[in-house]
Amino acid sequence: MTDFVDECRQEWKRLGVPDAVANEMATDLAADLQEAEADGVAAEEVLGSAVFDPRSFAASWATERGVVPQTAPPVAAPVLVEERPARMHMVAVIAALAVVAFAGAALVIRASHSAGLIGSVRKVVPAPFVDPRPGIKFPMFAPHGPASGLAHGIGVLLLLVAVVGLVAATIYWSRRAKTNH
Amino acid sequence: MLDLCLLAVMQEGPAYGYEMTKRLRGRGLSIVGEGSIYPLLARLERDGLVETYREASNGGPPRKYYRASALGRATLGDGVAEWRAARGSIDAVLGPVEVEVSS
Repeated sequence: MTDFVDECRQEWKRLGVPDAVANEMATDLAADLQEAEADGVAAEEVLGSAVFDPRSFAASWATERGVVPQTAPPVAAPVLVEERPARMHMVAVIAALAVVAFAGAALVIRASHSAGLIGSVRKVVPAPFVDPRPGIKFPMFAPHGPASGLAHGIGVLLLLVAVVGLVAATIYWSRRAKTNH
Repeated sequence: MLDLCLLAVMQEGPAYGYEMTKRLRGRGLSIVGEGSIYPLLARLERDGLVETYREASNGGPPRKYYRASALGRATLGDGVAEWRAARGSIDAVLGPVEVEVSS
């Protein structure tokens, strides 16, 4: 039955049960099992079905006793627990910057495209142009005036912000990765 | 139900883990096939239903003794009353049934 108690000890250690408490439980258990053996009583009579699963038994006992630290993670868990949210945040930041970059690029392209189309329309359509459908203004594209210029400016600004953000995020992430390794 | 049984055997006097197993077995209740009493005792202690203290046993190492607290005794009283009521109802249903019992 020493093996059983040893397995329990290992499980308590893994769970982060304080040594003093683990020693106390192990001592009580060993004394009980020793006395049962001396009485000719099978360990199963003392431990019930738990005799076949010392790890679960140990975990259950420690949990019921309230001596398993809530933040007691397995060996590799501290890095994982911190890494996961950080990685999620980084992915969210990159996704947001990508959206901003896309919006900026779309604005720039649209503004440039409008200017190009209007230019070509103006070349093709002789002035004065008579609109066959009253109420609908022609051309339907935004005029290449102050509004189009503003859209172009905003687009360029968004693109710059996104690119700078992406570069900064990449530098930050690579430095973080080096620190962790 | 096993928690009530543990509180009941503590009525005989404070006992350590294996001693309670012996008392249960002495009354015909084996815990083979059941879960161990140790997590259950820990829960009773955490819930304030038992009090514990350490004392040297006969020639052996100091043992952790358990005894029912006032709350534990009250819980035992309520549990026994519920059990008797339930047993009465089940007896009323199963009592009249006559079947051949397989050996």
